[in-house]
Amino acid sequence: MHDVSQDFFGGVFSDKIEGGRAAAKISINSYGLVAETLEEERFEIPFGECQLDKGGASGRMIFCRNSDRSITLFCEERGFPKALETLSTGALSGQLRAIQLKQRGHEKTFLFWLTVGSVMTLIAGVIGYYALIAATQAAVAALPISIDENIGSVAIKSVDLHARLDAGHVATKLVNDIVKELEPHSAIKGLNFRVMVVDEPTVNAFALPGGQIVVYTGLIKKAKSAEQLAGVIAHEMAHATLRHGLKGVGQSLGIIAAIQLVTGDVGGLLALSTQLAQESILTSYSRKSETEADLEGARMLHEAGIDPKNMADFFQMLEKLEGDIPDLLAWISTHPQHADRIARIEDYQKQIPQKPYRLLELPWEEVQNQLAN
Amino acid sequence: MEVTIRNAPSFANLLVNLDPGDRIVAEADAMASMSSGVEMTTRWNGGVFRAIARRLFGGESIFVNEFKATQPGHIVITQPFPGDMACIELKGNTMFLQPGAYIASEPQVTLGLGWAGIRSFISGEGLFRMKVSGYGRVWFGAYGAIFTREVVGEYIVDTGHLVAYEPTIGIRVGMAGGIFSSFFGGEGLITRVNGQGKIYMQSRSFEGLAAWTNAHL
Repeated sequence: MHDVSQDFFGGVFSDKIEGGRAAAKISINSYGLVAETLEEERFEIPFGECQLDKGGASGRMIFCRNSDRSITLFCEERGFPKALETLSTGALSGQLRAIQLKQRGHEKTFLFWLTVGSVMTLIAGVIGYYALIAATQAAVAALPISIDENIGSVAIKSVDLHARLDAGHVATKLVNDIVKELEPHSAIKGLNFRVMVVDEPTVNAFALPGGQIVVYTGLIKKAKSAEQLAGVIAHEMAHATLRHGLKGVGQSLGIIAAIQLVTGDVGGLLALSTQLAQESILTSYSRKSETEADLEGARMLHEAGIDPKNMADFFQMLEKLEGDIPDLLAWISTHPQHADRIARIEDYQKQIPQKPYRLLELPWEEVQNQLAN
Repeated sequence: MEVTIRNAPSFANLLVNLDPGDRIVAEADAMASMSSGVEMTTRWNGGVFRAIARRLFGGESIFVNEFKATQPGHIVITQPFPGDMACIELKGNTMFLQPGAYIASEPQVTLGLGWAGIRSFISGEGLFRMKVSGYGRVWFGAYGAIFTREVVGEYIVDTGHLVAYEPTIGIRVGMAGGIFSSFFGGEGLITRVNGQGKIYMQSRSFEGLAAWTNAHL
């Protein structure tokens, strides 16, 4: 019978070696394993004594210990387990299979916990997000109105008002009168509504936190009646009374703070993703506040005795004009789909008790004539 | 070539005395001072792509510097953070270093990047690790003091404290206690090392410093 043996590169742990370990050549012969270090120290473990284990940094390393565990041979070459199985003529097959199964078990456990961990992180993230939004809303409601005023007075500075019509102009008076009709029915008291009418063809109107309302003459000209104009103004006033500006600021600040709290810091990539997340949240948030403002505006119109349908009519008109008047884009781009908004206002009207609506006694024709000149 | 670790453990640095013809490889920007007779050549940290991979994933520099003495001289090599340094001598064996730990080595030592795996990544030890093998001395550094342990079986290290380990050591992620105590006790995830071999740990962690600093900002 001739000896078949195979050599592998590995190492050995033993107290007999200086430093306790050494790289070694590991040979498997028909009796067992032999390790030979560079210093020509020899360590032998017969198959009968061999206790196998698997692990190491790669997870693929095979350990082989003798019965008193004074010698440990290790090797992570790919052919090693196969050679052990073949050359031990089956003496180690049972152990090899057992460590294989043990490792598969570890992998399954790891995958299980990885999945559980990912799902839990996701759930915590979603809950955290909604908790944050709720907390922001509550926090904003508790803040005094003077903060809205401050934000508004800072924001108005970035608005180009050089074409502003004076307070005595019929158009300014008209918008002021509409605001006075609606003001008693606003959701919160104490807001100081101030109207600015700017003589520009832009079809736009907006309200700033604190109650400053800017209306462009382009929008007044496009409106078919004082009641339609009242519809737009009610919507803008609702933004101020629902404090959407402050909520938006609070929310983006809250999101940044929360991300910093969780991550400890905002690194380069993270900063970018924060910004993207923030922008997408703010656009979807503003859509949500548009819808809120529509409903609140409709409520104010109804309470003031003006048919909320006028607001829907104005949207309908915008929809028809859309496409051939680029100036319209300013107002449209930040606002939800007209069809959805009209449907929502009509739904709202079905829910509220019917009541006779009035027409506003305002010099509509005169304003239109003045602006046309 | 004679190398001494000076000013340990707080501000350790290497004083390398070179005889003519002696060479030492060091992490880019690690040289603090040197004699005028020492020549420096910069080379890719083991090939262009490997070097870039090492920079991206291993937290190491794209370049390493090789210092060669043309006449007797010395060089002082340091690390960017306060802490101790240690030396290991490779005799054909391999050692894994955590990203950023490598400082210098003798020219016959091979520097490589090894995949550390998802487990290592989750436990905060990084997706990759530096693999040093071959023959010769390797110097590496740590934040804080360095302490070692001969592991037989299982041992637990908090994330961010492991600096270097032998390939006979396996790494597994674990929770410090139950779900509640793990996350509210401040320990969170821990690293379970198992197998047989030596591990090097640092007495401070960068995550700890970052969290502490953040709390005081």
